[in-house]
Amino acid sequence: MTQLFDALLAVGIVGVAVAALFANDRFAAVGAFMVMGFLVALSWVRLGAPDVALAEAAIGAGLTGALLLRSARRLRVEPKMCQSRWSVAASGLISIGFAGLLYAAITSVPTVPAYPPLVAERLGESGVSNPVTAVLLNFRAWDTLLEIAVLFVALVLVIVVPVSRVRPAPLGEMVVPFAKVVVPLSVLISGHLLWQGADAPGGAFQAGAVLAGGGLALVLAGAMRLKKPLQGGILRATALSGLAVFGAAAVATAALTGHLLGYPDGQAKIWILGIEAVLTLAIAATLVLLFHGSVRRVPK
Amino acid sequence: MSTVLDILGTAMMTAGTGFLLMAAFAFWRLPDLLSRLHALTKADTAGVALIVCGAACMTSGIAAVLSLVLCGVLVALSGATTGHLIAQASLEDEERA
Repeated sequence: MTQLFDALLAVGIVGVAVAALFANDRFAAVGAFMVMGFLVALSWVRLGAPDVALAEAAIGAGLTGALLLRSARRLRVEPKMCQSRWSVAASGLISIGFAGLLYAAITSVPTVPAYPPLVAERLGESGVSNPVTAVLLNFRAWDTLLEIAVLFVALVLVIVVPVSRVRPAPLGEMVVPFAKVVVPLSVLISGHLLWQGADAPGGAFQAGAVLAGGGLALVLAGAMRLKKPLQGGILRATALSGLAVFGAAAVATAALTGHLLGYPDGQAKIWILGIEAVLTLAIAATLVLLFHGSVRRVPK
Repeated sequence: MSTVLDILGTAMMTAGTGFLLMAAFAFWRLPDLLSRLHALTKADTAGVALIVCGAACMTSGIAAVLSLVLCGVLVALSGATTGHLIAQASLEDEERA
Protein backbone atom coordinates (compact mmCIF):
# COMPACT_ATOMS: atom_id res chain seq x y z
CA MET A 1 0.00 0.00 0.00
CA THR A 2 2.76 2.45 0.92
CA GLN A 3 4.65 1.42 -2.22
CA LEU A 4 1.61 2.34 -4.28
CA PHE A 5 1.51 5.68 -2.46
CA ASP A 6 5.21 6.28 -3.14
CA ALA A 7 4.80 5.42 -6.80
CA LEU A 8 1.82 7.78 -7.12
CA LEU A 9 3.81 10.49 -5.34
CA ALA A 10 6.81 10.11 -7.69
CA VAL A 11 4.56 10.18 -10.77
CA GLY A 12 2.71 13.17 -9.31
CA ILE A 13 5.91 15.16 -8.74
CA VAL A 14 7.11 14.63 -12.31
CA GLY A 15 3.61 15.32 -13.66
CA VAL A 16 3.25 18.61 -11.78
CA ALA A 17 6.78 19.61 -12.82
CA VAL A 18 5.83 19.04 -16.47
CA ALA A 19 2.65 21.05 -15.90
CA ALA A 20 4.71 23.91 -14.42
CA LEU A 21 7.10 23.92 -17.37
CA PHE A 22 4.47 23.79 -20.11
CA ALA A 23 1.69 25.90 -18.55
CA ASN A 24 0.47 28.61 -20.89
CA ASP A 25 -0.10 31.19 -18.22
CA ARG A 26 2.41 32.38 -15.67
CA PHE A 27 0.11 32.07 -12.66
CA ALA A 28 -0.75 28.48 -13.55
CA ALA A 29 2.97 27.72 -13.84
CA VAL A 30 3.69 29.20 -10.39
CA GLY A 31 0.70 27.31 -8.95
CA ALA A 32 2.00 24.04 -10.36
CA PHE A 33 5.46 24.84 -8.96
CA MET A 34 3.96 25.35 -5.48
CA VAL A 35 2.02 22.10 -5.68
CA MET A 36 5.24 20.39 -6.70
CA GLY A 37 6.96 21.87 -3.62
CA PHE A 38 4.32 20.38 -1.33
CA LEU A 39 4.54 16.98 -3.04
CA VAL A 40 8.34 17.08 -2.69
CA ALA A 41 7.87 17.92 1.01
CA LEU A 42 5.62 14.86 1.30
CA SER A 43 8.30 12.75 -0.34
CA TRP A 44 10.87 14.02 2.19
CA VAL A 45 8.52 12.79 4.93
CA ARG A 46 8.39 9.39 3.20
CA LEU A 47 12.21 9.37 3.05
CA GLY A 48 12.37 9.94 6.82
CA ALA A 49 13.68 13.52 6.71
CA PRO A 50 10.95 15.59 8.42
CA ASP A 51 13.33 18.55 8.97
CA VAL A 52 13.89 18.91 5.24
CA ALA A 53 10.17 18.39 4.63
CA LEU A 54 9.27 21.25 6.97
CA ALA A 55 11.80 23.55 5.33
CA GLU A 56 10.68 22.57 1.82
CA ALA A 57 7.00 23.13 2.61
CA ALA A 58 7.50 26.43 4.42
CA ILE A 59 10.28 28.01 2.36
CA GLY A 60 10.50 26.05 -0.90
CA ALA A 61 6.80 25.89 -1.67
CA GLY A 62 5.16 28.54 0.52
CA LEU A 63 7.42 31.57 0.57
CA THR A 64 9.17 31.02 -2.75
CA GLY A 65 5.70 30.62 -4.25
CA ALA A 66 4.64 33.92 -2.69
CA LEU A 67 7.76 35.64 -4.08
CA LEU A 68 7.19 34.16 -7.54
CA LEU A 69 3.50 35.16 -7.56
CA ARG A 70 4.49 38.66 -6.56
CA SER A 71 7.07 38.86 -9.36
CA ALA A 72 4.66 37.32 -11.89
CA ARG A 73 2.26 40.13 -11.12
CA ARG A 74 4.98 42.70 -11.78
CA LEU A 75 6.05 41.28 -15.14
CA ARG A 76 3.08 42.25 -17.24
CA VAL A 77 4.28 40.90 -20.54
CA GLU A 78 3.60 37.20 -21.07
CA PRO A 79 6.75 35.33 -21.97
CA LYS A 80 7.12 33.57 -25.26
CA MET A 81 6.08 30.12 -24.16
CA CYS A 82 6.99 28.32 -27.37
CA GLN A 83 10.78 28.09 -27.40
CA SER A 84 12.38 26.35 -30.30
CA ARG A 85 12.21 22.57 -30.19
CA TRP A 86 15.98 22.34 -30.30
CA SER A 87 16.48 24.31 -27.10
CA VAL A 88 13.85 22.18 -25.29
CA ALA A 89 15.49 18.99 -26.55
CA ALA A 90 18.96 20.25 -25.61
CA SER A 91 17.98 21.26 -22.08
CA GLY A 92 16.17 17.94 -21.66
CA LEU A 93 19.28 16.05 -22.73
CA ILE A 94 21.50 18.09 -20.39
CA SER A 95 19.12 17.42 -17.48
CA ILE A 96 19.03 13.69 -18.18
CA GLY A 97 22.81 13.61 -18.47
CA PHE A 98 23.20 15.50 -15.20
CA ALA A 99 20.75 13.15 -13.44
CA GLY A 100 22.73 10.18 -14.78
CA LEU A 101 26.00 11.67 -13.49
CA LEU A 102 24.42 12.25 -10.07
CA TYR A 103 23.16 8.67 -10.00
CA ALA A 104 26.62 7.39 -10.92
CA ALA A 105 28.20 9.56 -8.22
CA ILE A 106 25.80 8.34 -5.53
CA THR A 107 26.07 4.66 -6.42
CA SER A 108 29.86 4.80 -6.72
CA VAL A 109 30.31 5.74 -3.06
CA PRO A 110 31.62 2.47 -1.64
CA THR A 111 30.66 2.71 2.01
CA VAL A 112 27.95 4.41 4.00
CA PRO A 113 28.81 8.04 4.86
CA ALA A 114 30.86 8.50 8.00
CA TYR A 115 28.82 11.34 9.45
CA PRO A 116 25.77 9.63 11.06
CA PRO A 117 27.80 7.41 13.45
CA LEU A 118 30.11 10.33 14.32
CA VAL A 119 27.13 12.58 15.10
CA ALA A 120 25.38 9.83 17.09
CA GLU A 121 28.55 9.24 19.13
CA ARG A 122 29.01 12.91 20.05
CA LEU A 123 25.34 13.90 20.33
CA GLY A 124 25.60 14.09 24.12
CA GLU A 125 28.20 16.88 23.87
CA SER A 126 26.08 19.05 21.56
CA GLY A 127 23.58 20.22 24.16
CA VAL A 128 20.58 19.14 22.07
CA SER A 129 19.12 15.75 21.26
CA ASN A 130 17.96 16.42 17.70
CA PRO A 131 20.92 15.38 15.49
CA VAL A 132 19.95 17.86 12.75
CA THR A 133 20.05 20.81 15.15
CA ALA A 134 23.27 19.43 16.66
CA VAL A 135 24.94 19.54 13.24
CA LEU A 136 23.44 22.88 12.15
CA LEU A 137 24.05 24.86 15.33
CA ASN A 138 26.98 23.11 16.95
CA PHE A 139 29.17 20.75 14.91
CA ARG A 140 28.83 22.72 11.68
CA ALA A 141 27.56 26.05 13.06
CA TRP A 142 30.08 27.78 10.80
CA ASP A 143 28.09 26.65 7.72
CA THR A 144 24.89 28.03 9.20
CA LEU A 145 26.60 31.34 9.91
CA LEU A 146 27.53 31.56 6.22
CA GLU A 147 23.95 30.66 5.21
CA ILE A 148 22.71 33.58 7.28
CA ALA A 149 25.29 35.73 5.49
CA VAL A 150 23.76 34.65 2.16
CA LEU A 151 20.30 35.76 3.34
CA PHE A 152 21.87 39.01 4.52
CA VAL A 153 23.39 39.69 1.09
CA ALA A 154 20.05 38.96 -0.61
CA LEU A 155 18.26 41.37 1.69
CA VAL A 156 20.87 44.11 1.22
CA LEU A 157 20.47 43.78 -2.56
CA VAL A 158 16.68 44.11 -2.26
CA ILE A 159 17.05 47.16 -0.02
CA VAL A 160 19.59 48.80 -2.33
CA VAL A 161 17.70 48.16 -5.57
CA PRO A 162 14.47 50.16 -5.42
CA VAL A 163 11.78 47.89 -6.80
CA SER A 164 8.14 48.78 -6.55
CA ARG A 165 6.30 47.92 -3.37
CA VAL A 166 3.44 45.57 -2.68
CA ARG A 167 0.19 47.53 -2.57
CA PRO A 168 -2.24 45.64 -0.35
CA ALA A 169 -5.20 47.99 -0.81
CA PRO A 170 -7.51 46.02 -3.16
CA LEU A 171 -7.57 42.88 -1.01
CA GLY A 172 -10.65 44.05 0.85
CA GLU A 173 -12.03 43.53 4.31
CA MET A 174 -12.04 39.71 4.29
CA VAL A 175 -8.29 39.63 4.91
CA VAL A 176 -8.45 41.35 8.27
CA PRO A 177 -10.43 38.62 10.12
CA PHE A 178 -8.25 36.05 8.35
CA ALA A 179 -5.12 37.79 9.61
CA LYS A 180 -6.61 38.03 13.11
CA VAL A 181 -6.69 34.24 13.31
CA VAL A 182 -3.61 33.39 11.27
CA VAL A 183 -1.11 35.84 12.77
CA PRO A 184 -1.42 34.68 16.42
CA LEU A 185 -1.39 31.07 15.23
CA SER A 186 1.79 31.67 13.21
CA VAL A 187 3.49 33.18 16.27
CA LEU A 188 2.41 30.18 18.37
CA ILE A 189 3.50 27.57 15.82
CA SER A 190 6.76 29.40 15.18
CA GLY A 191 7.61 29.42 18.89
CA HIS A 192 6.69 25.76 19.11
CA LEU A 193 8.94 24.86 16.15
CA LEU A 194 11.80 26.88 17.62
CA TRP A 195 11.56 25.23 21.03
CA GLN A 196 11.01 21.71 19.73
CA GLY A 197 14.02 22.06 17.39
CA ALA A 198 16.22 21.01 20.30
CA ASP A 199 14.86 17.47 20.39
CA ALA A 200 12.55 16.99 17.39
CA PRO A 201 12.27 18.28 13.80
CA GLY A 202 12.09 22.05 13.79
CA GLY A 203 14.47 24.95 14.24
CA ALA A 204 15.18 28.52 13.28
CA PHE A 205 14.62 28.27 9.51
CA GLN A 206 11.26 26.52 9.78
CA ALA A 207 10.11 28.72 12.67
CA GLY A 208 11.23 31.84 10.80
CA ALA A 209 9.38 30.82 7.65
CA VAL A 210 6.15 30.21 9.57
CA LEU A 211 6.49 33.54 11.35
CA ALA A 212 7.14 35.21 8.00
CA GLY A 213 3.85 33.72 6.75
CA GLY A 214 2.09 35.54 9.57
CA GLY A 215 4.03 38.69 8.66
CA LEU A 216 2.89 38.45 5.03
CA ALA A 217 -0.72 38.18 6.25
CA LEU A 218 -0.16 41.41 8.20
CA VAL A 219 1.36 43.15 5.17
CA LEU A 220 -1.45 42.02 2.86
CA ALA A 221 -4.11 43.05 5.38
CA GLY A 222 -2.53 46.49 5.42
CA ALA A 223 -1.80 46.31 9.15
CA MET A 224 1.98 46.39 8.77
CA ARG A 225 2.99 49.52 6.91
CA LEU A 226 6.68 49.32 6.15
CA LYS A 227 6.62 52.71 4.49
CA LYS A 228 6.35 54.22 7.95
CA PRO A 229 9.91 54.86 9.14
CA LEU A 230 9.42 53.30 12.58
CA GLN A 231 7.84 50.00 11.46
CA GLY A 232 10.13 49.64 8.45
CA GLY A 233 13.16 50.52 10.55
CA ILE A 234 12.32 47.99 13.25
CA LEU A 235 11.80 45.26 10.69
CA ARG A 236 15.04 46.08 8.86
CA ALA A 237 16.99 46.20 12.12
CA THR A 238 15.52 42.83 13.14
CA ALA A 239 16.41 41.33 9.76
CA LEU A 240 19.98 42.58 9.89
CA SER A 241 20.43 41.60 13.56
CA GLY A 242 20.56 37.89 12.65
CA LEU A 243 24.02 38.04 11.11
CA ALA A 244 25.20 40.59 13.68
CA VAL A 245 24.18 38.47 16.69
CA PHE A 246 25.44 35.23 15.15
CA GLY A 247 28.76 36.90 14.33
CA ALA A 248 29.00 38.39 17.82
CA ALA A 249 28.28 34.94 19.29
CA ALA A 250 31.08 33.49 17.16
CA VAL A 251 33.53 36.13 18.42
CA ALA A 252 32.34 35.70 22.01
CA THR A 253 32.79 31.92 21.93
CA ALA A 254 36.20 32.39 20.36
CA ALA A 255 37.15 34.67 23.27
CA LEU A 256 35.69 32.29 25.89
CA THR A 257 36.87 28.91 24.63
CA GLY A 258 39.41 29.68 21.94
CA HIS A 259 37.29 28.01 19.23
CA LEU A 260 35.03 29.87 16.83
CA LEU A 261 31.47 28.79 17.75
CA GLY A 262 32.83 26.21 20.21
CA TYR A 263 30.38 26.72 23.06
CA PRO A 264 31.56 26.61 26.70
CA ASP A 265 31.12 23.22 28.38
CA GLY A 266 27.61 22.53 29.64
CA GLN A 267 26.19 25.76 28.25
CA ALA A 268 25.73 24.64 24.65
CA LYS A 269 21.95 24.46 24.82
CA ILE A 270 21.58 28.03 26.12
CA TRP A 271 23.87 29.35 23.38
CA ILE A 272 22.07 27.36 20.68
CA LEU A 273 18.60 28.45 21.82
CA GLY A 274 19.67 32.08 22.11
CA ILE A 275 21.17 32.12 18.62
CA GLU A 276 18.19 30.27 17.15
CA ALA A 277 15.69 32.64 18.79
CA VAL A 278 17.41 35.68 17.23
CA LEU A 279 17.75 33.87 13.91
CA THR A 280 14.04 33.02 13.87
CA LEU A 281 13.08 36.69 14.16
CA ALA A 282 15.77 37.74 11.68
CA ILE A 283 14.80 35.12 9.08
CA ALA A 284 11.13 36.04 9.41
CA ALA A 285 11.88 39.75 9.00
CA THR A 286 14.20 39.04 6.04
CA LEU A 287 11.57 36.97 4.23
CA VAL A 288 8.86 39.60 4.80
CA LEU A 289 11.18 42.31 3.46
CA LEU A 290 12.13 40.20 0.43
CA PHE A 291 8.42 39.91 -0.34
CA HIS A 292 7.60 43.52 0.37
CA GLY A 293 10.48 44.98 -1.59
CA SER A 294 12.49 48.07 -0.91
CA VAL A 295 10.91 50.80 1.16
CA ARG A 296 12.87 53.54 -0.58
CA ARG A 297 11.19 55.80 -3.08
CA VAL A 298 11.62 54.90 -6.71
CA PRO A 299 13.41 57.87 -8.34
CA LYS A 300 11.48 59.28 -11.28
CA MET B 1 -14.53 0.57 22.09
CA SER B 2 -11.45 0.93 19.93
CA THR B 3 -12.95 -1.15 17.11
CA VAL B 4 -16.04 1.07 17.11
CA LEU B 5 -13.81 4.15 16.88
CA ASP B 6 -11.75 2.50 14.14
CA ILE B 7 -14.83 1.75 12.08
CA LEU B 8 -16.21 5.24 12.64
CA GLY B 9 -12.84 6.79 11.75
CA THR B 10 -12.44 4.74 8.57
CA ALA B 11 -15.98 5.60 7.52
CA MET B 12 -15.43 9.32 8.03
CA MET B 13 -12.08 9.29 6.22
CA THR B 14 -13.63 7.42 3.29
CA ALA B 15 -16.46 9.95 3.13
CA GLY B 16 -13.92 12.80 3.32
CA THR B 17 -11.88 11.30 0.48
CA GLY B 18 -15.13 11.09 -1.51
CA PHE B 19 -15.75 14.79 -0.94
CA LEU B 20 -12.21 15.65 -2.08
CA LEU B 21 -12.59 13.49 -5.18
CA MET B 22 -15.86 15.26 -5.93
CA ALA B 23 -14.08 18.60 -5.54
CA ALA B 24 -11.39 17.52 -8.00
CA PHE B 25 -14.05 16.23 -10.41
CA ALA B 26 -15.97 19.50 -10.13
CA PHE B 27 -12.80 21.48 -10.79
CA TRP B 28 -12.20 19.41 -13.89
CA ARG B 29 -15.75 19.41 -15.30
CA LEU B 30 -17.37 22.71 -14.33
CA PRO B 31 -17.21 25.41 -17.01
CA ASP B 32 -16.23 28.69 -15.36
CA LEU B 33 -14.33 30.15 -12.45
CA LEU B 34 -17.24 31.03 -10.17
CA SER B 35 -18.96 27.66 -10.35
CA ARG B 36 -15.61 25.93 -9.82
CA LEU B 37 -14.96 28.09 -6.75
CA HIS B 38 -18.47 27.40 -5.50
CA ALA B 39 -17.86 23.65 -5.63
CA LEU B 40 -14.24 23.72 -4.45
CA THR B 41 -14.58 25.86 -1.33
CA LYS B 42 -17.39 23.77 0.12
CA ALA B 43 -16.36 20.27 -0.90
CA ASP B 44 -12.72 20.85 0.07
CA THR B 45 -13.52 22.11 3.53
CA ALA B 46 -16.05 19.34 4.16
CA GLY B 47 -13.64 16.69 2.91
CA VAL B 48 -10.72 17.87 5.03
CA ALA B 49 -12.99 18.28 8.08
CA LEU B 50 -14.27 14.72 7.70
CA ILE B 51 -10.74 13.35 7.30
CA VAL B 52 -9.66 15.31 10.39
CA CYS B 53 -12.55 13.86 12.42
CA GLY B 54 -11.83 10.37 11.13
CA ALA B 55 -8.11 10.61 11.93
CA ALA B 56 -8.95 12.05 15.37
CA CYS B 57 -11.05 8.94 16.09
CA MET B 58 -8.08 6.72 15.27
CA THR B 59 -5.34 8.55 17.19
CA SER B 60 -4.78 8.59 20.89
CA GLY B 61 -3.64 11.57 22.88
CA ILE B 62 -4.94 15.10 23.07
CA ALA B 63 -1.85 16.59 21.36
CA ALA B 64 -2.41 14.68 18.12
CA VAL B 65 -6.12 15.54 18.11
CA LEU B 66 -5.36 19.21 18.71
CA SER B 67 -2.90 19.44 15.83
CA LEU B 68 -5.42 17.69 13.56
CA VAL B 69 -8.11 20.19 14.57
CA LEU B 70 -5.62 23.00 13.89
CA CYS B 71 -5.07 21.65 10.35
CA GLY B 72 -8.83 21.50 9.78
CA VAL B 73 -9.42 25.03 11.05
CA LEU B 74 -6.58 26.46 8.95
CA VAL B 75 -7.81 24.74 5.79
CA ALA B 76 -11.39 25.94 6.38
CA LEU B 77 -10.27 29.49 7.07
CA SER B 78 -7.82 29.84 4.19
CA GLY B 79 -10.18 28.08 1.77
CA ALA B 80 -13.01 30.46 2.55
CA THR B 81 -10.79 33.55 2.45
CA THR B 82 -8.92 32.71 -0.76
CA GLY B 83 -12.18 31.67 -2.43
CA HIS B 84 -13.64 35.07 -1.62
CA LEU B 85 -10.49 36.88 -2.78
CA ILE B 86 -10.31 35.02 -6.09
CA ALA B 87 -14.00 35.66 -6.78
CA GLN B 88 -13.60 39.34 -5.93
CA ALA B 89 -10.54 39.69 -8.17
CA SER B 90 -12.34 38.07 -11.10
CA LEU B 91 -15.38 40.36 -10.63
CA GLU B 92 -13.08 43.38 -10.64
CA ASP B 93 -11.40 42.14 -13.81
CA GLU B 94 -14.81 41.76 -15.46
CA GLU B 95 -15.86 45.25 -14.45
CA ARG B 96 -12.67 46.66 -15.89
CA ALA B 97 -13.03 44.76 -19.15
